[in-house]
Amino acid sequence: MSIKVLVVEDDREIRGLLRTALVAEGFEVLTAVSVSEATALLAHDPPDLIVLDLGLPDGDGAQIVRAVRSKSAMPIIVASARHQEAEKIGLLDEGADDYLTKPFGVSELLARIRVALRHRGTTLQPATTRYARGDLLIDVDAYRVERDGKPQHLTPTEFKLAARLVRAGGRVVTHRQLLADVWGAEHVLDTHYLRLYMAQLRAKLEAVPSEPRHLLTETGVGYRLVVD
Amino acid sequence: MNSSTEMEPTQDWRHVLVALALLSAATAICAVLDDAISLMSQAMIYLLAVVAASYRLPRLAAVGSAIGAVAALNFFFVPPRYALAVEHREHLIALVAMLAVALLVSYLSTALKRESAAAHESESRAGQLRSLAIDLAAAGSEKEAVAIGRRALLQRFAGPVLLVTSVDGAIDAGVDAGVDVQRALRCCIDEAAVLGPGTGRWPGLDAWYVPLGTRDRVVGAARIEPALASDTIGREHAQAIAALVAQGVWRLRLLEASLAARAEFERQHVQATFLASVSHDLRTPLAAIVAAASSLEAQRSRLDDAEQGRMLAGIVAEARYLSAVTENTLQLVRLSAGGGALRTEWQSLEEIVGSVVGRLRLRPSGGRVRTRLGRALPLVRGDATLLAQLATNLIDNALKYSDGAVDLTVVQQGDRLLLSVKDRGPGLAAGDESRVFEPFYRGRDASDARGAGLGLALCRAIAAAHGGSLGVSRRARGGCRFTLALAVAEQPAVEVAT
Repeated sequence: MSIKVLVVEDDREIRGLLRTALVAEGFEVLTAVSVSEATALLAHDPPDLIVLDLGLPDGDGAQIVRAVRSKSAMPIIVASARHQEAEKIGLLDEGADDYLTKPFGVSELLARIRVALRHRGTTLQPATTRYARGDLLIDVDAYRVERDGKPQHLTPTEFKLAARLVRAGGRVVTHRQLLADVWGAEHVLDTHYLRLYMAQLRAKLEAVPSEPRHLLTETGVGYRLVVD
Repeated sequence: MNSSTEMEPTQDWRHVLVALALLSAATAICAVLDDAISLMSQAMIYLLAVVAASYRLPRLAAVGSAIGAVAALNFFFVPPRYALAVEHREHLIALVAMLAVALLVSYLSTALKRESAAAHESESRAGQLRSLAIDLAAAGSEKEAVAIGRRALLQRFAGPVLLVTSVDGAIDAGVDAGVDVQRALRCCIDEAAVLGPGTGRWPGLDAWYVPLGTRDRVVGAARIEPALASDTIGREHAQAIAALVAQGVWRLRLLEASLAARAEFERQHVQATFLASVSHDLRTPLAAIVAAASSLEAQRSRLDDAEQGRMLAGIVAEARYLSAVTENTLQLVRLSAGGGALRTEWQSLEEIVGSVVGRLRLRPSGGRVRTRLGRALPLVRGDATLLAQLATNLIDNALKYSDGAVDLTVVQQGDRLLLSVKDRGPGLAAGDESRVFEPFYRGRDASDARGAGLGLALCRAIAAAHGGSLGVSRRARGGCRFTLALAVAEQPAVEVAT
């Protein structure tokens, strides 16, 4: 059975193009032009993944994210223009899985969908606890970190930070989420903690810390560990 | 004002004493010389005393001393001596003549005194008007001009004095005055005429109301107390002061209007340049996209795979360029509109540069970028998206105008953090150092290069929004160097954690 994707987008051209592109990749595609239509579709014919455009005519995408998150771990990818940055981050904090900045290419969209689907139903399946890509290995369960096969010593906080990114499995983790999960809710505004600890982490995990290949910065949003 | 006519009692006594002293002196001299000189000479000595008294003393005292002189001469020296009777008609005529001389001299000297007082007064008024004109010319604001005018009026009038300005006949709402006063001020402004005692208009008022300026150009009014119907000179002086203040206020208003007009002109000029250039920057890639897409649409069957691929790649590249131009334009407009929506957080330039370069590496020209970052760089407060855009634009610019390596460095220098982008391109023409940051300016060799004509203008706006500066300099052996300087603030505290 093919995977069902709901595209919520009010622009007809883009909606049509996304449908064509996704159908060509073998997805079954549902479309909605508004929050209300999307809500109705979600109730009757739940998809496996949502691509949600911001700035819909009848309201706030956050409504959909909250409604979906209250029931399931269905992946949600937010598509937004630059000026909707704050709204986008708000949705990611609410539990959306990833984002795309308009204009985006189809290949970017497909890559994001692949990452998101890999973790479909994370509430049921065990979360990702192991990251192995190129020269880097992070095994959360075994509390082991290696670069080029050589063990790296991480402080407990550094390890918690790395583990949080590993669990996200290639999805972006916002500043707020990282600060809340690693340092606690009272530190959600202390972004400088992240700047300092990410620098330490990169110094240990990256071959060239100033040009990271694993621990990527999503400027203004958060961080992600690259997966292939 | 004519204090000399109002004799006070003490002065009165002094005048009598002076007159008596003069007469006594004359009598003494005549008595001493009694045997040596004739009666005529004695009369001359008394006449001298009378002339002196008439010149120095007010008229009443002068007349008094003339009569006294005649009486003394008659009593002491005219036969029969020591009696007031007059023996010869000749002596009587001499006495009358002496009285006439006394009156005439007194009259002349009083008139002279009055004239010189009037000349002095008018000289001081003219002097006041002169210095008022100078002060007003230096006034920088309407409020200042009004204060200067008020001070000038208070120099001449005891007050109270009220000076208000008006715009299109409407008095400044903040004026603290009663309803009647406000009404009189408004009427004065509307009619552009002086009201009050002695003016024939509203003589019942207890003050003068003088308009600032003449008909069609009244910029306010003054209320002046005390106002005497007879004080014509005072009223004229008040009008002269009002005219000068009006001129000063009018000058300031014209200046303000011309500055506003110039700012508006410049704004429109910038807007026109902006629109012309944006539309150029948007149209060129659009033309390329339309050409390629329509060719694919109409001629697909006749194009081989390689040609189709080239066209498709062109469409994607042009569209991405278009997106970058749009983004730069929007950001610049937002920043220059004073968009205070800067989301500042602690940022690491190393991290920002890392993500920018990481993205550029995906492009064919990205391999030309070399980075060198100092160790343990401090954090800066800023908007990550904007700082990333700044770095991207600087590198884009360097890649576009040069073929060799582009060096990006970030170092701390004292209390500043410097981000530099250096290339070995054609460099800048002399004088281009500041013009490259103007929206849509392009260097001399840039005619063929497609420009994010806005890219550097946006960079400078972003630098300014972060309280930093962005400059460019020519490098010794060709090429140029753009340097962003940001102030290093006190670093945030971090709880000691492990």
